[in-house]
Amino acid sequence: MATVETNAAPIPEAKSFAPERPKMGVVFWTSVSWILLVIAAAVLADLLPLRDPDALGIRTGEIQRFESPGVNAWFGGDGQGRDLFAQIVHGARPAMVLSAAVTLIGGSLGVLIGVVAGYVRGRTDAVIMGIAEIMFAFPAIVLLFAVGAIWGITMAILIPVMAVLAVPSYARIVRGVTIAVAERDFVDAARAMGASQSRVVIKELLPLVALPAIAFGFLGFGLVIATEGALAFLGLGLEQRTWGSLIAGGQGLIREAPHLALIPATAMFLTIMAFNYVGDGVRELIDPRPIVVGRKRRADGPRPTTASASDALLSIRDLRTSFPTPGGVVTAVDGVSLDVRTGRTLGVVGESGSGKTMLLRSITGAFPVVGVQREGRVVVDGTDLLSASPASRSAMLGNEIGVISQNPLSALNPVRTVGSQLVEVMRVHRAISKAAARARAIELLEQVGIPRPGRRVDMYPHQLSGGMQQRVTIAIALANEPRLLLADEPTTALDVTIQDQILRLLASLGDEYNMAVVLVTHDLSVVRGWADDVAVMYGGQIVESGPTSAVFGDPQHRYTQALLESTPRLDLPIHSRLAAIEGQPPSLVAPPAGCRFADRCAGADERCRSEVPVLERLGSVEFRCWHPGQGEAR
Amino acid sequence: MAGTGSAHLRTGDDIVLRVRDLVVEFPAGKGQVVHAVSGVSVDVAQGETLGVVGESGCGKTTLGRAVMRLQDARSGSVEFRDHELTGLEGSELARKRRDMQMIFQDPVSSLNPRRRVRDLVREGLEIWGSQPGPFTDARVEEIMEAVGLGGEGVGERRPHEFSGGQCQRICIARALVMDPEVLILDEPVSALDVSVQAQILNLLEDLKADFGLTMVFVSHDLAVVRNVSDRVMVMYLGKVCEVADTQPLFDTPAHPYTRALLASIPGHELGLSDASTLISGELPSPIEPPSGCRFRTRCPLATNRCAVEEPELREVAVGQFVACHYA
Repeated sequence: MATVETNAAPIPEAKSFAPERPKMGVVFWTSVSWILLVIAAAVLADLLPLRDPDALGIRTGEIQRFESPGVNAWFGGDGQGRDLFAQIVHGARPAMVLSAAVTLIGGSLGVLIGVVAGYVRGRTDAVIMGIAEIMFAFPAIVLLFAVGAIWGITMAILIPVMAVLAVPSYARIVRGVTIAVAERDFVDAARAMGASQSRVVIKELLPLVALPAIAFGFLGFGLVIATEGALAFLGLGLEQRTWGSLIAGGQGLIREAPHLALIPATAMFLTIMAFNYVGDGVRELIDPRPIVVGRKRRADGPRPTTASASDALLSIRDLRTSFPTPGGVVTAVDGVSLDVRTGRTLGVVGESGSGKTMLLRSITGAFPVVGVQREGRVVVDGTDLLSASPASRSAMLGNEIGVISQNPLSALNPVRTVGSQLVEVMRVHRAISKAAARARAIELLEQVGIPRPGRRVDMYPHQLSGGMQQRVTIAIALANEPRLLLADEPTTALDVTIQDQILRLLASLGDEYNMAVVLVTHDLSVVRGWADDVAVMYGGQIVESGPTSAVFGDPQHRYTQALLESTPRLDLPIHSRLAAIEGQPPSLVAPPAGCRFADRCAGADERCRSEVPVLERLGSVEFRCWHPGQGEAR
Repeated sequence: MAGTGSAHLRTGDDIVLRVRDLVVEFPAGKGQVVHAVSGVSVDVAQGETLGVVGESGCGKTTLGRAVMRLQDARSGSVEFRDHELTGLEGSELARKRRDMQMIFQDPVSSLNPRRRVRDLVREGLEIWGSQPGPFTDARVEEIMEAVGLGGEGVGERRPHEFSGGQCQRICIARALVMDPEVLILDEPVSALDVSVQAQILNLLEDLKADFGLTMVFVSHDLAVVRNVSDRVMVMYLGKVCEVADTQPLFDTPAHPYTRALLASIPGHELGLSDASTLISGELPSPIEPPSGCRFRTRCPLATNRCAVEEPELREVAVGQFVACHYA
């Protein structure tokens, strides 16, 4: 049996995002072995030291009539004393030949047709898929009966008929994959370089649809074996000896000699299962990127609740959030402390992988990955969310804490009206009548600037524009008048004029409801324009924080300086050279020993690489940098 | 705003690309039509970078794709060095198109994940019949070096082993290997982080100088467009609002929509009123765009005249063209 290479997760080179190949389990490799065994039996049946499957045991005296499985004949004998083991080994060949031929011929035709239909689209696609639909609707078994009645069932008849029947399934699957792939930009890129249609199909599309087609081919292979068995059972078997004909022959004797039907049935069953498992396994190999699935809320163990000493509404202390990945444990948030007071907006800014979104999610506890561990304290209005009971935590979410996400369409339920979603969030958290909740819903929609709220309240999310959808999620977040509002890239998906409207709205609502707002964004100008305070994140840590004007006006940390200098600005000459930050962000699995920015910092020295910078304070600004404040003031 | 006209088109030998009255429409079912680009004219001079800005639905991406003939135009013309491209088909089109290359927004999706970097970069040469060999290899090597992808073994790796910024470098290398005159860039940095964005913008400026490129830079990000462009065209709902050299466009924006766009930049210090006073409401449907000036439904200056009479582009200052009755 083959073994799996377990790469002892090398520390990923900073710039390399190479994922691990998914590890295939025992079941997969057992299935592969079984298939290889069956193939070997099919190929080598004549060479193996087996009894002649046609030798009548009752004549030669070697095997008794209906002999039970045992040492003499492993799988026993049939009514004439023929060796069942030999029969099964020999019976593997027609099944394999039939399945292989049907899968190869039907599969290749189907793939070709599917790629063409999916790539060309339009009328060609409509005609091809129309024919496929008709073939799906046509009862295959009836066709096989008819064919059998006219020409008899032979390999030469069965292979082409079953291959044709298989074509639509392959075509449909491959068409779907092709449509998805053909929408990707690289197809346009190839066309833009002058590639011909056939080149696009062969070079760009076929390699990508091949793997899903192969995965489906394994399932199809098993299906052909099963179909042959069913046909034999119905008396339409091949003239050769097959597992199907053995089962059919043994079924009448199930009381006297159960092994005659059960053993070939088991062989067939195991083979079909093996093909299905291998097909599933191949499908898992399709996506070259690692897939993280599952969604889980962690129930943290009890911990003493300590009310925050400061007057901050949100107070985070030494928060550490980590989760396992194939490459090791990623510490996405590493020792973050911050406070947000009522009536203030804190902008959390950083690049991808800085941990800003995980910081926000660490407050609510909703993670897109499983196995997340949180340490430290996240105190909202006196309650530590990390140690609170699940009940009191969910009582706070959606009630005292409102959340706005980046993509409004995914945050809204597409099959429910805007109004019913607003009403629900109110009724979950407080005793309010449906009518009153609906009245309040309309009021909220008006408040977030949705024209004609009385009509919009009964609309579905897809009937609204992106800006309107985001207003609806804001209305939902505000429904219970939260004291803390968490917004994760709330305007990234929106146009700049709509972004202005939404940020203006958030600012005025923040004042009106006297909320503490945390605004996570990658966009420095959003922070500059709309946040009172800023926390700059890098490598899972806050490297600098303070009032926005102070931090942006006189950045202390070298990273803050570099970030500001790499952003195109309206007050510099056209064609200004930007100060790009070379290199890549640090690994969060094995972060650098000293300052996390040291490797990319022009001013770094030995101490920066070995010693973690201490927290320093200059006026109202806090930062961690050994060589602060040496950039130009901006 | 949102008007037509070709007063802004220049004459001269150094005009590399000239688009005249381009109209692109998509069927929207039930006999309806999306008016994506409605009579846009523009030209680009040798060595110039034209920035095309506007919000989603303004037609900026469609314009770029129509110039590349990835999208068929309903009417109008695209001339490359005085050669008409619109009527060309098949191999003749492909030959002309070789001189124009395109970079797309999503660098990761632009690269076939199953192919190696070297093969991706070499692809264009292969399409054009260059056999693999020392000459091709040297060319590929040279271009990869130029975009900052030099180094042992880089060519043997596959796209998913690279970050977004590096993937965009691969895309740029793939375009440059064809030795194009014009590079059309559709939101080339909007999927990238700020620090990486700066790397790519600097790289593009270097390559423009080294390879003598002419660029069309399509983006929604005004600060980025301002930094890379010599001339800027502002689009709204399939129409041209304003065309001007970069400095005057940002210093003295003349079109109400240009002003609204600039005023929406968070934290700007351009001395404009609040964006909320300059633009209201939402983008109208491109299936039934407003009559007359397409911006009138959101414009604080709009009058009856704007509903009846479509403004044409006219020169309001030297080199600054605006399609507005009241600019």
